[in-house]
Amino acid sequence: MTQRSTLDLSEPPSAQDDPAEIELTDDDILEAMREIPGYLDITTMDFRAVYRLAHRHAIDRLFSGITAGRLMRREVSPLTPEIPLAEAIPSFVHQGLKSLPVVDGQRRVLGILTETDVLRWLGAETFLGLLARVIMDDSCIKSEQHHRPVGEFMTSPVVSVPLDAGLRELLAAFASHPGRAMPVISTDGRLAGLLLRKVFLSAYHLDRQSWG
Amino acid sequence: MGLRSYLSKMRGSLHGSPPRVSRPEVLWSWMGAFLGMAAVAWINQWFFAGTDLTLAIGSLGASAVLVFGAVRSPLAQPRNLIGGHVISALVGVTCWQWLGGEPWLAQSVAVATAIALMHLTRTLHPPGGATALIAVIGSDQVHAMGYLFVLFPATLGPLVLLVVALLFNNLPATRRYPEFWL
Repeated sequence: MTQRSTLDLSEPPSAQDDPAEIELTDDDILEAMREIPGYLDITTMDFRAVYRLAHRHAIDRLFSGITAGRLMRREVSPLTPEIPLAEAIPSFVHQGLKSLPVVDGQRRVLGILTETDVLRWLGAETFLGLLARVIMDDSCIKSEQHHRPVGEFMTSPVVSVPLDAGLRELLAAFASHPGRAMPVISTDGRLAGLLLRKVFLSAYHLDRQSWG
Repeated sequence: MGLRSYLSKMRGSLHGSPPRVSRPEVLWSWMGAFLGMAAVAWINQWFFAGTDLTLAIGSLGASAVLVFGAVRSPLAQPRNLIGGHVISALVGVTCWQWLGGEPWLAQSVAVATAIALMHLTRTLHPPGGATALIAVIGSDQVHAMGYLFVLFPATLGPLVLLVVALLFNNLPATRRYPEFWL
């Protein structure tokens, strides 16, 4: 099994996770204060503190619509660990996905099987790497791999997010691993859906535009 | 908190003070304060001379600093200007009447309580602390006024400054007053 480092999402994200925050220098603030006529009864430190907090509030307000639950894809048929790889691969193709959650009988997420996991077990790092080998030698995909179960290939433990995870939490979670999708977990610990990185990024981008 | 971090706080944040205002602003502040204090002193001289009442108290000079020198400051707004003086005067007179036998206690309780009440009522106005102190350490004339001190000078004085500030601070293109009323 491929190990993926787990992320403690209970910890508040650090200031670096804040999107689009510009660090203001004292000179920036003093120059701005000079442009406003009259005496301003505030220090640069106070201004910076107010700016930072106000910025956080603005981000929270503007991106309050971004939650894992709203953006996730609900129609996902997950895999189970005992399914042979040969049966799992068509499931990717039918669903048009490059990663699928692997769940137990109670729909609790055990891991995630990604295209990269599959390629790695076929002895290639990327699809093109595999293609290059197939062109050279069409017997290179060993058929005995096809019957081995998904549970051996999958990435586990997996980084997942709760339904109500907001912008900061999702940014931190996606930044913590290279995967293109994350399982979204309902409050009872079961799989609720799959959040695709591209969907998250486009939602973030649209809101950014209406903000400017 | 360790002693080291406690002491290091005394160095300040090392981020410097706000910039000096432009020369025209200095002139506007001077003119505003001149007119404001002139109005207070003139009324005091022509209407209160010969009476037991007074309008000119030291804390009005401090109010002029805020109202004409830091026009945008929340501390300089009408709510704070009037409310701060009135509440502080009430506290000061009360402290003199109840604690006058222990002058040091009356003075310290007056100023400290004035600050607390101004905080609670969102009327913080630094000159209010001076008004509370004046009510305690003031002349026999001030003491003899009792709660009348709250009306003259502690309400009327700031009110005169407020009228001048409204008329004057809205003349320069770079100024407006107030930022808020209540």
